[in-house]
Amino acid sequence: MDASTFIGPFVPELLLLGAVLLVFLFDVLGIRRNEYLSTIAVAATSLALLSVLGDLGFAPLAVFATLPSSLIDVAPSGAPLYAFTSLGLIFQAIFLLSALLVCLASASRPSHEKGAPIFYGLLLLATVGMLLVAVATDLIFLLLAIEVTSISTYLLVAYHRRESRSLEAAMKFFIIGALSTVLSFYGASLLFGAYDTTNLYAIGRATGSVGFPVLVLLGYGFLIAGLAFKVTLVPFHAWAVDVYDGAPSDVSAFLAGGTKKIGLFAFFLVFLGPILFIKATGAGTSPFSGGPLDLGPILTLTLGVLAVLTMTVGNLLALLQKEMKRMLAYSSISQAGYMLIGVTIGSAPAITGATMQIFAHVLMKGGAFLVVAGVAALGVGPLIDDWKGLGTRRPLLGVAFALMLLSLAGVPLTIGFVSKFVLFSSAVQAQGFFVWLAVAGLLNSALSVFYYARVLKVLYFEPSPAPVLPAAPRPADVLPAGGLGYGRAVAIGLIAVLIVTIGVYPQPVLGAIQAAAQHFVAVGA
Amino acid sequence: MFPLLSAVVVTLLVGTALTFAAGKYARWVALATSFAFLAEVAYLLMSYPGWPGYANGIIPGFANQESYSWIHLGWLTVNYTVGVDGISLVLILLTAVLQVATVVYSWNETRRPGAWFGLVMLTCLGCVGVFIALDILLFFLFWEAVLIPMFFLIGFWGGPNRRYAALKFFVYTHVASIVMLVGLLALVFYSGATSFDYSSVYAAGHGLMTVTQTFLFLALFFGFGVKFPIVPFHTWLPDAHVEAPTGGSVLLAGLLLKLGAYGLIRWAVFVLPSGFHEAQPLLFVIAFITIAWGSIVSLAQRDLKRLVAFSSINHMGIVLLAIALGSSLGLLAAVLLMFAHGIVSALLFMVSGSVHHTYGTRDIPSLGGITPSTPVLATMVMVGSLASLGLPWLISFPAEFTALLATWDGLAYWVLIPLGILVVTAAFYIWMMQRMLFGPPRGIPADVHDLPWHESAAMSFLVAFTIFLGVFPFFLVNLITSSPIHGFPGT
Repeated sequence: MDASTFIGPFVPELLLLGAVLLVFLFDVLGIRRNEYLSTIAVAATSLALLSVLGDLGFAPLAVFATLPSSLIDVAPSGAPLYAFTSLGLIFQAIFLLSALLVCLASASRPSHEKGAPIFYGLLLLATVGMLLVAVATDLIFLLLAIEVTSISTYLLVAYHRRESRSLEAAMKFFIIGALSTVLSFYGASLLFGAYDTTNLYAIGRATGSVGFPVLVLLGYGFLIAGLAFKVTLVPFHAWAVDVYDGAPSDVSAFLAGGTKKIGLFAFFLVFLGPILFIKATGAGTSPFSGGPLDLGPILTLTLGVLAVLTMTVGNLLALLQKEMKRMLAYSSISQAGYMLIGVTIGSAPAITGATMQIFAHVLMKGGAFLVVAGVAALGVGPLIDDWKGLGTRRPLLGVAFALMLLSLAGVPLTIGFVSKFVLFSSAVQAQGFFVWLAVAGLLNSALSVFYYARVLKVLYFEPSPAPVLPAAPRPADVLPAGGLGYGRAVAIGLIAVLIVTIGVYPQPVLGAIQAAAQHFVAVGA
Repeated sequence: MFPLLSAVVVTLLVGTALTFAAGKYARWVALATSFAFLAEVAYLLMSYPGWPGYANGIIPGFANQESYSWIHLGWLTVNYTVGVDGISLVLILLTAVLQVATVVYSWNETRRPGAWFGLVMLTCLGCVGVFIALDILLFFLFWEAVLIPMFFLIGFWGGPNRRYAALKFFVYTHVASIVMLVGLLALVFYSGATSFDYSSVYAAGHGLMTVTQTFLFLALFFGFGVKFPIVPFHTWLPDAHVEAPTGGSVLLAGLLLKLGAYGLIRWAVFVLPSGFHEAQPLLFVIAFITIAWGSIVSLAQRDLKRLVAFSSINHMGIVLLAIALGSSLGLLAAVLLMFAHGIVSALLFMVSGSVHHTYGTRDIPSLGGITPSTPVLATMVMVGSLASLGLPWLISFPAEFTALLATWDGLAYWVLIPLGILVVTAAFYIWMMQRMLFGPPRGIPADVHDLPWHESAAMSFLVAFTIFLGVFPFFLVNLITSSPIHGFPGT
C-alpha cells in the first residue's frame, strides 16, 4: 500500500487535524482573536467539505477529489477497520456542513474570549471523530470514533465554565455519555463472544447461524441502549433537553444538528447488516427454538417501537415547553424518531428518506439554534414569549427562522417536506407493518405543527413588547449585519436558501443519496 | 404548444413577488396581475377544444397538458404535470373572477398593503394550482400552499379572536391534509402505479380490489371532507369566517371550500369508482346531516356573517349530495353549484363586511330600514340574498334546479329533504331582508355614507356574473360536460 492510497482517503480528517494543531499553536502563542481562529476553522472545514464532495463525484469539484474511486463501494474482504461507501461519504459531507455552519456562525462570537482556541479546537476534533464514524466497518473502531466526538463535546458543553447551567449540563452529559459508552462496549464484547469477530459485515452475515441466542440478544440489546443514548431515543432521552438547553446555543446547534447524527449512522452500520442479510436470505426461524436465530423481526419490532415512542413523546413534551431552546430540544428528540424509521425498514428507499431527513435536520435544527444564539446576543430572553413581534421587527431574520420552523413542521416547498415525503412514502411502499410507521409519523407531523405554528404566531401576530431601553451599547460592541455579525448572518442566510432550493428541486440531492443508499444496501446484504 | 398553464402560475408568482416588494404601489401591481390572470383565463377558455362544434365538443383527455420530470428515484416518480378539463376550467374562471373582485374590494387596505395583496394572490395561486395539478405531489403541494397565506390573512388582518381562529383553521385543515396524503400515497403504492401522474394513478386505481378501494376512498373522503366542510368537522369554518377579514372570507368561502369538493371528484370519485360505490350510503347520510345542520344553525344566527357562513355549510352539503349521486347529472349539478356558491357567497361576505363597517355592527336585529340611507348597499344585500335562495335568472337557480333534478333522478322522494330545507332557508333570507332593508330605520348613525366606489365596483362585478350566467347557464354546462371520459362509468 503506497502512501497515496493510504493518505488520500483521509485528507479531510488530516486537514481538520492540521487545523486543530494550528489553533492550539495559536493558543500557545497567545493569538486568541476570534477572527483569526474562525477563519482557520472555516477554511479547514470548507476545504474538507470540497474534498468529500469531489470524492463523491460532483464533476465541478473533481479537482478536490483525493479518494481513488476504486476504493468506493467495494464489498470489503477480510476484516478491515474501515471502508469507503458513498453513503458514508455523504454522511461525511453532512457532518462537515454542520461543522462549517457552526464555525461560520461562531465568527460572530466576541472577539476576545479566552477560551476561543479551545472552542474551535474541540469543535474540529469532534468533527474528525464524526468523519471516522462514517467510514467505520468495525464495531470497536466505530465506538472509539464515537468516543472521540463525545469527549470533545463534553468539554464544549462546559465552555462557559463559570455558569452553573452550563456546568450542570456538561456534568449530566458526561455521566450519561460515559454510561452509554460502557453499555455499547459491553454489548460489543458480548457480540464478540458470540461471533468471534468485531467486523460489522462479518457479524451481519453470521446472524443467521449463531449458536448463542441469549448472548446475541443481550449484545444487541446493550448496543441499542448505548447508541440510543447518543441518538436521544425515548426512553434514553432525558439528558438531551438539559444539555441542549444548558450548552451555549452554537454548541447546541452542533450537538442537535451534527453529533447526534453519528449515532444514527452507527445504527445504520450496526443494524442494517443483520436486517438486510436476513431479508436477503430468509434465514432463521425464531429465537430460543434451538434453530438459527431470527433476529430480523425482533430488531425490526424493537426499532419500530422505539421510533414511534420517540417521536410521540418528543412531540408531546415539546408542546408543553415555554422556552425556545427546550422546545427545539424536544422537537429534536422527536425528529430522531422519524430518522429511525429508515433503519427500521432497511430498504434503499427508506435509507434514502432517512438520510435526507438527517440532512434536512442538520439545516433546520442547526439553523434554528444558530438563530437562537444570535437573537440571545440581541437581548431577547429564553422564553418563546420573549420573541414577540420579532418577525415584524427583523423581517429577514424572521423569514429565515420561519422557514426553518416551517421546514421542521414539514410544510411543502421546504427540504423538511421533501425528506418526510420520501421517508413516509418509503414506509407506505414497504407495505404491511411499516405503513403504520408512516401513519404514526404523519400524525406526529400534524401534532408538531401545533408548537411550530405557535412560535410563528408569537413571531408575527403578537405585538412587540414595549421596548425596554437597555443600557445603550457602546458602538464598538454592536456587530454588523444588524447585531448578528456577518458570519452568523451568512450561515443563517445560507441555510434558509438551501432549505428552499432543495425543497423546490430536490432531484440532484435525492438522486445522489438514493444511488449511495442502493450501493450501501447491495454491499451490506 | 405554448405552456399556457405554467404561464398562469408564473404570472401569479411574479405578480405576488412584485406585490410584496411594491410598498404603496402594491394595489396597482396586484390589480395589473389580476387582470393579466383574468385575460389568460379568458384565452384559456376561448382556446379550449371542448366547446360544441369545436372538435365535436368532446375531448378525450386533458387540454393544455404539460409534463416535466421532477423527482425520479425509480420507485418514486413525481412529475410536474398540469392540464385542464371542463371541470377545472370552471373553477379556474371562478378563481380569476374572485381574485379581481377581492383586490378591488380591498383597494384601500392600509395595514401592510404589500403583504395583504401578496397573500391574497398567493391564496389564488394555490387554488389554481390545485385545479390544474395532475400529479399527486404537485396537487398536495398546491393544496398545502393555500393554507399558509390564509393562515396569515386570518391571523394578521382578522377580528379580535383572530389568533385562535387562525390556529384552529390551520390545525384542522392540516390534519385533514395529512390523512389525505396517506390515502394518496397508499393509492400509489398499493395499486402499483408507475408514477404519481393522474393518468397512471387513474388506471391503477380502477384495478384495485373493492375492499382496498373502499378504505382508500374513506381516507381521501375524510381529508377532502374537512375542507368541504362536512358535519361534524365543520367547526373551524364559522370561527375562521367570523374572525377573517372580508377579503379573507371571500377567498375562504369562494375558493377554499371548493378545493375539497374538487379533490373529492377528481382524486377519489373518478379514481376509485368501486370504493365510491360502497361509500355512497355514508355520503348520503353525511350530506343530509350537513345540509340540515347548516341551515338549522343558520336560522339561529343574529350575526350576518355567521349566517352566511352557516348557509355556506348548507350549500356545500348540497354539493356533496350531488356528488354522492354518482350520475352525470349530479356531477354537472355539483360543479354548477360550486361555481354559483363561489360567486354568491363572495358577494354576501362582501355585503356583510360593508354592513359592518358602514353601520358598525353585523347584528341583524339591531339594524332596520337601511335602504333610504344606503341604497346601493341595500341593493347588493338584496341581490346577494335572492341569488342565495335560488331566484330564477340568477346563477344559483340553474345550479340548484339541476341538483334537485339529479336528486329526484337518483333518490326519488328523498329530494323532499333538501327541497324543504331550501324553502326554510329562503324564508329566513327573506325575513332577514325584510328586517334589515325595509321597515322603520333602526341603528343608523347620523353620518352614514353609502358604499365607496371600489366596494360597489367589486360587488357589481360579481353581480354581473350572477346575472349573466344565470341567464346563460349553458356556457358553464357546455364546459362541464365536455370531458365525459372522466365522468362516471356508464354515462
